[in-house]
Amino acid sequence: MSDAKRTSSGAPKAISGIDVMRGVGAQQAKGFWADAWERVLQRKGAVFGIAWISVVAFFAIFAPVLASAHPVYLERLDAAGAVTAAEWPLVANLTPTDWLLMIGFAVGVPWTFFGPKSLGRSGRLGVLVVALLQAGLTIVLAGSIAKWADSSSVEWLKQAARLSSGPWPIVGAVAAVVGLLALIVPTFDTRGPRIATVAGTALIAATLLLMSGGQKLINFERYIDDERAGKIRAVWTPVPWSPQYTRSDMSAIAPGTAVAENPKLAEFAGTNFGERRNWLGTDALGGDVLAQMMWACRLSISIGLVSTGISLLIGVTIGAIMGYFGGWIDLFLFRIVEIFMAVPVLFLLIVAAGVLPRDTYVMMAIIGCFSWTGAARFTRAEFLKLRKQDFVQAAQATGLPLRAILFRHMLPNGVTPVLVDASFAIAAAISVEATLSFLGLGPDGQASWGKLLSSATASTGTFVWWLAVFPGLAIFLSVLSYNLLGEALRDAIDPKLRKAAH
Amino acid sequence: MVNFLIRRLLFMVPTILGITFMVFMLLALAPGGIGAGLAAQGGQMSDTSRVAQMQAYLEDRYGLNDPVVVQYLRWLGRISPVKFGERDLRNPSGERVSAPREVKPPEMPWLFPPPDAPKVEFAPDTAESDAQVQEFRNLQRIAEGARRSYIGSVRLFKDTLADYVREEGAPWTDRLEPKGGAEPGKFRDLKLDPANAKFGALHQAADDMHRKWTAAEEARQRAFIAFRARPYPLSGFGVVPGVVYLDSPDLGVAFSKNRPVWDLIATALPVTLLINLIAFPISYLVAVPTGILAATRRGGWFDVLSGVMYLSLYSIPTVLAGVFAIGFLANKQYLGLFPVSGLHDSAASTYTFLPYWDEGGVWQMGWLVDLLWHVALPVLCLVYASFAVLSKQTRAAMLENFNADYVRTAKAKGVPRNDVVMRHVFRNSLLPLITMFVGIFPAMLAGSVVIERIFTIPGMGSLIIEAIDLRDREIILANTFMIACVNLLALLLADILYAIADPRVSYE
Repeated sequence: MSDAKRTSSGAPKAISGIDVMRGVGAQQAKGFWADAWERVLQRKGAVFGIAWISVVAFFAIFAPVLASAHPVYLERLDAAGAVTAAEWPLVANLTPTDWLLMIGFAVGVPWTFFGPKSLGRSGRLGVLVVALLQAGLTIVLAGSIAKWADSSSVEWLKQAARLSSGPWPIVGAVAAVVGLLALIVPTFDTRGPRIATVAGTALIAATLLLMSGGQKLINFERYIDDERAGKIRAVWTPVPWSPQYTRSDMSAIAPGTAVAENPKLAEFAGTNFGERRNWLGTDALGGDVLAQMMWACRLSISIGLVSTGISLLIGVTIGAIMGYFGGWIDLFLFRIVEIFMAVPVLFLLIVAAGVLPRDTYVMMAIIGCFSWTGAARFTRAEFLKLRKQDFVQAAQATGLPLRAILFRHMLPNGVTPVLVDASFAIAAAISVEATLSFLGLGPDGQASWGKLLSSATASTGTFVWWLAVFPGLAIFLSVLSYNLLGEALRDAIDPKLRKAAH
Repeated sequence: MVNFLIRRLLFMVPTILGITFMVFMLLALAPGGIGAGLAAQGGQMSDTSRVAQMQAYLEDRYGLNDPVVVQYLRWLGRISPVKFGERDLRNPSGERVSAPREVKPPEMPWLFPPPDAPKVEFAPDTAESDAQVQEFRNLQRIAEGARRSYIGSVRLFKDTLADYVREEGAPWTDRLEPKGGAEPGKFRDLKLDPANAKFGALHQAADDMHRKWTAAEEARQRAFIAFRARPYPLSGFGVVPGVVYLDSPDLGVAFSKNRPVWDLIATALPVTLLINLIAFPISYLVAVPTGILAATRRGGWFDVLSGVMYLSLYSIPTVLAGVFAIGFLANKQYLGLFPVSGLHDSAASTYTFLPYWDEGGVWQMGWLVDLLWHVALPVLCLVYASFAVLSKQTRAAMLENFNADYVRTAKAKGVPRNDVVMRHVFRNSLLPLITMFVGIFPAMLAGSVVIERIFTIPGMGSLIIEAIDLRDREIILANTFMIACVNLLALLLADILYAIADPRVSYE
């Protein structure tokens, strides 16, 4: 112990063979992933990519509280100017998803850095991801099932969806089912903490859903009119516009213009509203571009992650089965892979997006379901190599179940090319989303960079530069970031390249 | 090699069946189904109106009433080169003429016994070929018209039946379709009640239906006899007369344009090919030399710069490049250097082929330069993304070969550096480029879908997008089929070229 201290603090000192045998100067080897991560961070491009993705992720989480036409705090005044009531309209209008993302951020960041050391950082991240997925799935599923039940012709379903206390039977059932599914995922090794986290997450998701209530009628004009008439005093968000707040008298306003500078709205001069600016201009419908771009971060982040997640899930499973079994199973499954490779993926996506409902989740699903062949081929190639290796044969000889051989023993050794590919796949998914939105096949009622971009060129032949430049830059930087990250990951992981570099 | 070829060609069949079936099911499972475009065409749905009858006729014409799998099998039968049944004829303009289709017997024969099927004795005029063709076309038109009014009367009968059932009240009304129509098959045990207010109307509708059926059946038989007399030459190649014959695939008739799909493709494909054939050499001429340079000066400023630049270019989605090009380069508000849309100037048909200076010394743009000027931006948008892929591939292949023993030997025996690079390393690095050459083509075809939409060029991409907007099944399926065939053949070609270029590769 004292020897080690001296070598590390003092001047370099020759050590003898005896010292080496005692373990002087020996360091614990870094893990494979820690090593790879360090190599990634050495690349400037990758650091830039991570920084940009973090910015986008930040806006994806906090857009509802940063850009909203609802005031944060509102005081109602009577004729004499005395405060009669106080409200928090912004908070009242947050959706369960908004709450979930913010709570997830608030809990997740400290958890990742200061959570139980026994799990290791990747273990803590794993728990966080599983919990977020569980809560997200509960909210999405329960929300859409409640909506479907509300309009279904089956009487008891309709009753359950229209209870005065909220559709709690539906929410509870969905939360329980998703919770049971999440229980299967191996996060903690012991049963106690695993059940506790799953139950806690289910409870939070269900509470959020029931508390936020139904759809509220939004009338942003009311705030503006009341404020002008002196009926209310309000504190606004930094970007006091919502993507849904469109005014026909504000279409295609140039960046940086104040509302009162617009001749149509000169009556607002001197009011709070008249001094507001559209920092990045407005689109043809009169919606603020900056607010839309901030809200669109959520779509950009989620479409990349979710669709790639789906394609990895399908691709790795099918690829693992193909590579491990080989023979007839391989031959048959490879025909299925070939079916998807026979036509360019973009073509299939355009057909699917054209005929299916225009919905965010549908779009994620089709991108995921049509682009899994890359992951399948990479996994297959790795597994074909791995299946003859000793550790796999040892696992077979021990009589482990197939699931354990495939996913516990082989997958960690063969997953690297798939992960590198995943980074490029996320970039491709963002690009595809922009393309589909541009072609008018994107999700309805959702702010999207691609949709903004498509409104830059109108059929009348006019070109609105701020609708092309700002969203275009955001799309470009996002795609570039994931590509840079993928390059860095590949260089860090690929042993062949590393050897060639030395 | 022959074995390999046969095996690969056989494996293509299930792949093509799979992809077309998938697209077919996707179209069928979508809300509104395959006929959604037709309904949209018909405008508002009202039960007894002409629109509803037109709808019924179109559904019958394109076979949309059958189960989806049956429809797919019928499509497959048309696309297959091996066909069964009566051989088609081919008219002088190359269109396929099929035998008149069977007419379905009237509905509800148990309540309203149909009249006996008519027997037509008829000898077509076969003396003179012009008169024979004229007669056949007349009979064909009459048969189609009679069929159309029969189908309309069936629709009317079903609507009247629904009205009748509504008069009867519960529990019969439970058997009505969700949209209010009546399916006669569900009312087998219905007893007619003269007291019902719609009793007379139902009888009248049935009589009308029977009369029109007789007329349609008669007209069909006449047309069939005339068809048998072969006014046009037979199409295809008979194997077993009247049972099996070989013919080229029939891509069908587009719902939305009422034109053979093949005609639409034949006008659109050359446009797409033109753009791609210009783009192809450009991408190779730029990417391969930079790849070579980057590899020879590995780690140098050129290598780093070209790597960064190509990665950035690769990260620009095509739509983004298109919008910027059209907005800043083509739009009159900004530079206005290029035309905004289309393939030719509106007056291009009056141009000479080559440019020239007229008497006044004014530059006259010929047809060719006008075309190149129009395709410049689309081609630019098509090529830039493939630079990164191609140059990276070239660089990687070159680097791999630089480390090989034979290169060291060549250097050691004093071969000049340029010769080492070009003669030894580059020639051996060409192999992956051959594969890329074939593989990049289908990808460009997909890329031009977006580009043609942005620059409003009437190529395959515009055709596909339009077909998807209108839910035109025939165009979408025909395109899927063609793209899949081209793609799979291209992959096979790549493998063959690879084996020819590299003696170490063998498929035995």
